[in-house]
Amino acid sequence: MAHIQWSDDLNTNIAVIDSQHKRIVSYINNLEDVKDKDDRTVEEQVLNELVDYTLSHFAFEESLMEDAGYGFINGHKRVHQLFVKRVSDFMQRFKLGEDITEELLIVLKAWLINHIKSDDNDYVDIVKKNLGNMDARKGDGWLTMSVKKFFA
Amino acid sequence: MSYIQWSDDLATGIGVIDSQHKRIIHYINQLEDAQALNEPELVSEVLIHLTDYTLSHFAFEESLMEDAGYVAAAIHVKTHDSFRDKINAYNLRHKAGEDVSKELSKLLNVWLIEHIANDDSSYTPFVLKNIPGINSEKKSGWLTRKLHTFFP
Repeated sequence: MAHIQWSDDLNTNIAVIDSQHKRIVSYINNLEDVKDKDDRTVEEQVLNELVDYTLSHFAFEESLMEDAGYGFINGHKRVHQLFVKRVSDFMQRFKLGEDITEELLIVLKAWLINHIKSDDNDYVDIVKKNLGNMDARKGDGWLTMSVKKFFA
Repeated sequence: MSYIQWSDDLATGIGVIDSQHKRIIHYINQLEDAQALNEPELVSEVLIHLTDYTLSHFAFEESLMEDAGYVAAAIHVKTHDSFRDKINAYNLRHKAGEDVSKELSKLLNVWLIEHIANDDSSYTPFVLKNIPGINSEKKSGWLTRKLHTFFP
């Protein structure tokens, strides 16, 4: 399979979110690279990094939505939870010695692209507006602080 | 089969749900294209996107129904469950090496459109009534304010 190439239709135009999404894409591409090396230790390391970062990103995104009063936050959270459950099932199988990387990559690519293009797109307007207000109210530091909180 | 065109009788009137449904229809049409091209790999890729997105959409929709206190939510969830079971069964057959793409695409085409047109319309009034501000995010502020002034 090929690497995911970042394209304009993946941009939410919320810079902090786009850079997190790009980082997730680079982890997925990384996983693609190590897949054929037959080194489970390296694979496990990339998998753990990918899962870790994605969980932090979800938490960050949910807090942005909550702060902005996004009406569909529960639905969005449910979609995140469902995905986390699927990925942790894959991780269980990996730990039991199964070779899951190829299958997981297909799921990750399909899910991420779908999720960014459709679900994330829906919160953009309200979150952007709220971020603008926040900056005015609390100064530029607010966002930086939040990022630090979730990606300690 | 021919392309499915989005039409008003498919609209629920809940913006976020309609855009998710439009995306599902977009995939169903893509599937049609992939099958016409007779490219099994492309067909399989679109099927993964389509089923993946549909399952996420169900999770989103179920959460919305719960939030709105929709009385028949349990029945609706059961309908989703039976669909999830069908998808799982196809997935197992696919993993065992069977070509299920034609059967599966027929199911998706018929079932999903039927479901959107009939079942989903039944929860819409609850959601619109019980989740305040659900469609207001994208309306222009002025119009919304005027509407509130004249129709408090």
